[in-house]
Amino acid sequence: MFAGSAHDGVSVYVYPTDRFKTLSLYACWVGELDAATAAPNALVAYCLRRGTRDWPTFTAMQAHLEELYGASFRADVGKLGEHQLLSFRLEIPDGRYLPGHPDTLGAGLDFLQAVMQSPHLTVAGEFPDDVVGQEKDLLRRQIEGLINDKAQYAVLRCIEAMADGAKFGVPRYGRVEDLDGIDQQTVAARWREGRRRWPLLVFGVGAIDAADFEAAVRDRFQGPERARSLRPSKPFTATHEGRLLVDEEDVRQGKLHLGLATGVRLPDADYPALMMYTGVLGSFPHSKLFVNVREKASLAYYAYARVDAALGLMMIGAGIEFSNFRSALDIIRRQLDDMREGRISEDEMAFTLESFTNELKAEADSPSALIGRELERRLLGGGPTSEELEESLARVTRDDVERIAAQVDLDLIYFLTARGEVPAYA
Amino acid sequence: MRETEPLIQETLVTEELPSGLRVSVIPRRGQRRTYATFATYYGSIDSHFRLPESGQTVDVPDGIAHFLEHKLFEKPDGDVMSDFSRLGASTNAYTEYLTTTYLFSTTEHREKCLEILLNFVQDPYFTPENVEKEKGIIEQEIRMYLDMPGDRLHSNLMRALYVRHPVRLDIAGSVESIRQITPEELYQCYRTFYHPSNMWVFVDGDVDPDRVIAAVFENQAGRDYKRQPPIPRILPEEPPTIHQERIAQRMPVALPMLAIGYKDPVENLSGPALARRELVTDLMWSLAIGRSSALFFELYEAGLINDRFGAQFEAAPSYAYSVLSGETRDPDALLERIERGLQKVHFDEKALERHKRRHRGQYLALFNNPGQLAYAHNSFYVRQVDLFHYLEDLDGITLAAIEERFHEHVRADRRALSLIEPEDAKR
Repeated sequence: MFAGSAHDGVSVYVYPTDRFKTLSLYACWVGELDAATAAPNALVAYCLRRGTRDWPTFTAMQAHLEELYGASFRADVGKLGEHQLLSFRLEIPDGRYLPGHPDTLGAGLDFLQAVMQSPHLTVAGEFPDDVVGQEKDLLRRQIEGLINDKAQYAVLRCIEAMADGAKFGVPRYGRVEDLDGIDQQTVAARWREGRRRWPLLVFGVGAIDAADFEAAVRDRFQGPERARSLRPSKPFTATHEGRLLVDEEDVRQGKLHLGLATGVRLPDADYPALMMYTGVLGSFPHSKLFVNVREKASLAYYAYARVDAALGLMMIGAGIEFSNFRSALDIIRRQLDDMREGRISEDEMAFTLESFTNELKAEADSPSALIGRELERRLLGGGPTSEELEESLARVTRDDVERIAAQVDLDLIYFLTARGEVPAYA
Repeated sequence: MRETEPLIQETLVTEELPSGLRVSVIPRRGQRRTYATFATYYGSIDSHFRLPESGQTVDVPDGIAHFLEHKLFEKPDGDVMSDFSRLGASTNAYTEYLTTTYLFSTTEHREKCLEILLNFVQDPYFTPENVEKEKGIIEQEIRMYLDMPGDRLHSNLMRALYVRHPVRLDIAGSVESIRQITPEELYQCYRTFYHPSNMWVFVDGDVDPDRVIAAVFENQAGRDYKRQPPIPRILPEEPPTIHQERIAQRMPVALPMLAIGYKDPVENLSGPALARRELVTDLMWSLAIGRSSALFFELYEAGLINDRFGAQFEAAPSYAYSVLSGETRDPDALLERIERGLQKVHFDEKALERHKRRHRGQYLALFNNPGQLAYAHNSFYVRQVDLFHYLEDLDGITLAAIEERFHEHVRADRRALSLIEPEDAKR
């Protein structure tokens, strides 16, 4: 169980346990996801990993992490619903299992604090010109490079089209066209804004004393002007009436996606029922999509359904032969119909419950899963812990699932296909 | 045999059963998940071999080990995946150059899951119909890989580095090769390589090792296995030279990708010698071009690499190679700078000590993740390296050994390049 508290815009939660060989620290600033600021915010995270006052170069920082027994550090940008997260994650070996038993927790906190609060700046208080320029180029290429992973690219394109300009469709790194006007002043200004005003969440997992940790974090990360609360994301609603969007690229395999609105989000009472719905439909090898699209029809290597808990947006995906577009789509639609018409077996419910229970229990074995769940709850304004979720899933009935099925609304069909392989679609 | 590592406080219990099957268990108090693998020393490179009893030579289509991996999940009454799924457990399998591994992960019903794992891998069921049907699924899998730039980059590099050794072939085979596979061939490979003498079980979880070993023993006792001698594998003679200096492929990517490979001549290293070779080579690359090196920073500052650029060494008795790879805006410039940088590389004592620490920390972190730990244990096992003794030589590795390794390994005449280039059409 996480212990801790949220006040003055700083939330600190610790999961004390003896079971891990490492100490996992995670800190993030949370801002509004907005097309105008997404790219400069992303650059803040990337410039901060380039150097601190004490370790002013990338090389010095890396050497320091090696000194800390190869602590792994990541500064990254994420998004959850309509929020953008600048996250800093450090996993550091627990000194109890190292020669000489060094105190690695203190060293880890020092490092995080230095990265987030005391970056290497010029005398003018800006990030160095060359650092910003290099990180801008890298970010531009990273955004352009999203097309390299076709499965991920197809999901991104589908979500972008579903959002139609709504905030949640803004890519977490921002857009290439927003990069041009950014200079070292913009980035420094965004950093100061985030550091002073954005809510900060800090999590620790491992052999850590909760009270000491919270005190240490509050001492290091003060910010009197910080926003106390987050504006919740709006649930996604369907507007495209199931129309088809096709992208043509030089690919060997087609990616078929269906985007749907469920109207249910993590804090909602119906969330466990939505989870069961998604599980029966497409989270597991026994689920309808896998069994019917892959096993029975041999049309795909993968076929899944998953839900974005912040928006209540469901995504169905399958990798298929181009010419099988029609038959795969028909089979997927039939599964949605079966869900709506209540053709759900006792077995499907039981297996889905077992599978989710297993996943939820296993979260306790993984520091990143523990932190991920707690972060989601804290950001989305409540919602069950994994233990609570386990209990409430067990109470979900077939009627509950059918009720969800009745409100699931197809928004958009997306197909990434090869050039010239555009399916006929009535 | 029971062995405890005092510093990291973990225990490994191992026993070899009469059938030749080896069982290893790491008991982990308080861990919710039980993670088990059942693996065979049979991978994508084993398409040519002799039957251990008769000595008769067998040649089968490429991709058959991976095909077998798929097929073992199918039973007369359905797919084994759903048997695990019913219990809330998840299962998976993967085929590599040397091995094929079946696994499950569960928080409940672990005895039952272990039984299903042992049984499904030991009860093949291939029919002309189900083999034909699987070809459609595997074809989709192969096509999916053909669209993955990172996969192509590696695959092309292996084709460039190796002249004859089957590591130059894709693990899943090709659409053409898998179409030739028959149930008879699957059975023949199955009977040869899925013999317990050629296999091992690894379990990591909050379990009693003796009970796990007893359960596997009982399962084996019900099957009439006689110990089988080692299977002679026929590998072509691989020259120390490379096949082709450079392979480039165009794909829809935003940025070019470059992989530089360095190949070792065949030395048949295994056990502690192989472990030491890995450590020395890893340390060598870390010092030369790792994230805290001057060369890495130079390349990063010049905008030629991103922070995912890295070097890796992969070694087995019959092959060993390093790969330096990443995305880059300018592959020619990157290559030139790396070459120049490597020529004037300076190996530093302090940096060596830092990287030794990093190795210790990363080894320790393995024990946080049951999947990674099982993977590490299994790849060590097949190379005859003991999990708890992997770092034994670390402290004794000197700068001189690293310099020597550098001159022996980083040679222009054993180097090949693989390139993925964006298509000309601008979007």
